[in-house]
Amino acid sequence: MGGQTRKKLMAIMALSAMIGLLMFPILVSIPALAAGGGAPAAGGPPPDVLAEQEGDAVEEGQKVEMGRDVYYKTEGIVSGLPAPKTEDDLRSYPRYNFESRVLLWFANQQHLYYGSFVLAVPIFCMIIEFVGIMSKDKAMSKKYDQLAYDFIKISITAYSITAILGGILIFTFLTLYPAFFGYLSSIFRPVMHIYALLFVAESGTIYIYYYGWDKMKEGLLKWIHLSMSVVLNVIGTTLMMLANSWIGFMMSPAGVDEQGRYLGNIWHVLHTALWNPLNVHRLLGNMAFGGGVVAAYAAYRFLSAKNDEERAHYDWMGYVAMAIGVMFLIPLPFAGYWLMREVYAYRQQMGITLMGGLLAWLFIIQATMIGILFLSSNYYLWQALGRMRGAEKYQRYIKYLVFILVVGFLVFITPHTIVMTPTELKAMGGQQHPVLGAYGVMSAKNGGINVIITTTVLSFIWYMRGNKVPIVPWAKFGDIFMGCFFGLAYLNIIWLAIYGYYIPANVRVGLSVPQVVTTLSCLFFMTALNLTMLKGAKMSGPIEWGKISVRSQYALIMLATAFTWMMGLMGYIRSSVRLFWHVNEIMRDNSPWAYTHTTGFAANMISFNVLFFWFTILFVFWLGTLGVKKVPVEAPAPVPGRVPQPAVGH
Amino acid sequence: MLELVGSAIVLGWPVLVVLFCLLVYFQFGLKDPQVRQRAVFKTFIGIIAALLALMAIENFKVSFFGNSRLVPVSLVLVTALAFMMGIYFKNIGALLKIGGFMFLVAAALSGYGNWLPQVEGGFPPPEVKLDFSGMSPLQLADEGEKIIFGGIGQSRVQGAIGKGQCPLCHGFNKGFLSERAPNLFGIADRSKERLEDPRYSKGNPEARDTVDKEAFPGAGTAETVQEYIAESHACPSCFVVEEFGLKGSNDRESQMPRIHKPPISLTLGELAAVDTWMYVREGKEPPTFDEILASYEKFIPEADRPKAATDVEAPAAGGVLATGEEPVNEIFTKGVCVTCHTIPGIEGAIGKIGPKLEEGTSAPRRLRSPEYKRSPGGGKAKSVREYVTESILNPSAFVVPGFPDNQMPKEFGKLLDAGAVNKIVDYLSQLEEGKEPPPIT
Repeated sequence: MGGQTRKKLMAIMALSAMIGLLMFPILVSIPALAAGGGAPAAGGPPPDVLAEQEGDAVEEGQKVEMGRDVYYKTEGIVSGLPAPKTEDDLRSYPRYNFESRVLLWFANQQHLYYGSFVLAVPIFCMIIEFVGIMSKDKAMSKKYDQLAYDFIKISITAYSITAILGGILIFTFLTLYPAFFGYLSSIFRPVMHIYALLFVAESGTIYIYYYGWDKMKEGLLKWIHLSMSVVLNVIGTTLMMLANSWIGFMMSPAGVDEQGRYLGNIWHVLHTALWNPLNVHRLLGNMAFGGGVVAAYAAYRFLSAKNDEERAHYDWMGYVAMAIGVMFLIPLPFAGYWLMREVYAYRQQMGITLMGGLLAWLFIIQATMIGILFLSSNYYLWQALGRMRGAEKYQRYIKYLVFILVVGFLVFITPHTIVMTPTELKAMGGQQHPVLGAYGVMSAKNGGINVIITTTVLSFIWYMRGNKVPIVPWAKFGDIFMGCFFGLAYLNIIWLAIYGYYIPANVRVGLSVPQVVTTLSCLFFMTALNLTMLKGAKMSGPIEWGKISVRSQYALIMLATAFTWMMGLMGYIRSSVRLFWHVNEIMRDNSPWAYTHTTGFAANMISFNVLFFWFTILFVFWLGTLGVKKVPVEAPAPVPGRVPQPAVGH
Repeated sequence: MLELVGSAIVLGWPVLVVLFCLLVYFQFGLKDPQVRQRAVFKTFIGIIAALLALMAIENFKVSFFGNSRLVPVSLVLVTALAFMMGIYFKNIGALLKIGGFMFLVAAALSGYGNWLPQVEGGFPPPEVKLDFSGMSPLQLADEGEKIIFGGIGQSRVQGAIGKGQCPLCHGFNKGFLSERAPNLFGIADRSKERLEDPRYSKGNPEARDTVDKEAFPGAGTAETVQEYIAESHACPSCFVVEEFGLKGSNDRESQMPRIHKPPISLTLGELAAVDTWMYVREGKEPPTFDEILASYEKFIPEADRPKAATDVEAPAAGGVLATGEEPVNEIFTKGVCVTCHTIPGIEGAIGKIGPKLEEGTSAPRRLRSPEYKRSPGGGKAKSVREYVTESILNPSAFVVPGFPDNQMPKEFGKLLDAGAVNKIVDYLSQLEEGKEPPPIT
């Protein structure tokens, strides 16, 4: 056995031992979890209340009491105390001379922003590192590797901030909402411990992954390094799902009886009606958000670059981050649609409060935000066409895309009904205006958003073709086929949107499926067709990285800010829909803040959170620049026919 | 505007003084004319930026919990200062411009959120103790209408909704849209047909092809129209009207919650009131209160019956005085504010017992006054809106000099809904000395 091989083996064994040690506490705790973790203890901190409740429980004797699961409807042994009944006093709601809910909102949102970012970045790194390993071009391979390293470097500082914010969040809960947090932690006791242990495992893995980058850059070790990113992401995603189970429980409790008493089945508590839709929605959302943050970082570095090499590198980095972000942004509305369907299925009133009641105006803002995100992405792609020679042939058609996008956007954001006073209703003759009442119905909105997404796909395909001319023998046929496919897709989406007006609501709901299928067909089939057509394509000129307009970088910043804002908005909506319940229908919120703020107040608060997050993350970016001493790995000078190309779309 | 500049200077005068001293030092202390010119100019820009920042903070402080529609002004001010600094401080120019752009985006979005109609969810409905058993059928019907629609006479208003939340899904008037659940117009007559529907399986609950066979084991099925209505409320999934089942359940399960359970939790008395209204509004003779109660007792076991509020005292006159749906002048009249206060723009409000209410002008003055800061009642307001709210809900927190304490009732928090208080606060905050009062809404 050669020295080199022995060294490798030792490294592998050391790594395995480290991962084993990290996972050991979790493995040990699994049997306890499977057994239900025992009966949860106290239901909330006010100690005298607890003592009273426990005393009652003892007095009632040791007989086994059965309870019925509020969601699963199964019988289970009551093994916890009821949800505490709080009063508006300092025992249940200790407070400063400030609204506790706002403080908690701030702490929670900041932790979520950073948490989302540090969970998303390792997924990026995994993808980019893999692309780098698979790349046959050595220069490109190094470039991707450097990019993945740059990403993880940013997230390392953010990682410690996430942990600090997590601590602040827990202290805020404990000090301002002790009764509620006590109840929640009594139900989730074993889950919370596993969460903490997973966090240790995540930290250990991320540090080995980051600091071992240079040591593990060749051969088998590189693959082991890559597989560590897989482990990292498995742990990270599990962490996210566990945290989601708490909010899932608060919205749609399960595993407890009507009094909130735990029934011994921890899986029921975790696997609530909304858990899976929340998981999918958050995972996609985190990715799109992470893409936005990294794109903003690249834009910042681009705008402050001192030379062309730096500009070229960060232009490329911004493009890759934006492409990954948009890749996950496209399915996000569909995941949101699934979540809403499940909300309606769980409690129709909850769905109506969201979409047609108290919180409906916030959804109008959300629609606007989605429109802004897609418009910004398209604008960036159109600007990016400017750095390619030969892309002029597409630029002249951009005005038509603008028209289609704007029309789709306007249709999408038009409200159907608005909250009115009785006098206004009387003047209008009912809730719906005789003419305007036809606008803003779901049928039209579905059409609007599908048109927007399809147009984004079209922009992306044009971008991919910007500096290339297909030379496959069937190129002309392919072009015509693609044109017809998009034309028919638009027609189908618009036709279904109009047809929806003439059929009952319950049938109309089903029309969204063919519309979505049409959009996704454009995304998958046309992208695949385009890639096939571009194999060995003739280059009309190189991509001149770094030559993109400054405006495009502001589009990236717009994308990032808007996405951060939308995350804050959707989090607020999701949380507000519980109205005056800490745990829906189980534990009532009796604090002085058990009302829903005005739309304007919520918007201001979201802006505050967004700006605070960006203020701190810009500081993190700036810290990142302090350690930079050299220009990132340079690619060879681009020559026609052999152009450094980003991973996605080419 | 000038007031804002003044407050900003008061807030941050030490910073401005330091910058000014620096300016003077650069002007007279530096020898190199080029260096001097640059330093003086940059300090001058710094003074303007600092003033803008202080104005933004001051506006934010006053508006955050108060007139929140003005908060975006702070964001615009920061945008302006960031771009201005970005132009002249080139070493951190990119950072400042990006920050400025983010503030601009946030200002636009905040502005948009504030421009939209402001909807605020009130506190959960107060638990009011009412003795339904002693009410006449018409009184019961009125209470029923309040529970369903939120007020007497609201049943003809589309969108009106009360504690029962029924109109979220059900239509109640002939021809009204009712896509989520059956329109309940003519329910009394239709119930007879439903009882004979083979799917209902009258007298044979085991034969039902539904998720719930019975409301509880041994409850059986309905035999009368009233029992059918009671069963529909207590066990919506015992029989589901065709086409209205939960999606994918093939009409085996209803999407309606059990109405006596959270989140709605109507008591048996409230349910009796709701049912009585449904008969009375169609001109039909309703069953007696006891008959309705008995029908519910058949389908809701003792342990599941929500208890009526016992320890919460009903507000005077049996409910809140105003909910916020009324025009503001009506709220002032109902609250008898007009007797003691002079309120510009409100007819008949010429009282002299309390101070004249021009809070747009007087509240900022009082907030700054040493009397307010030293107030034995412990005034805690930071903005005009907070001050007016505090004066309504806790009049002794600060008593305007020259007027006696304990003259104003302290129960307005119970007598007025959050919506009504907000409406009063909105109106009074806009009243300024020598200006036209705002329109009554």
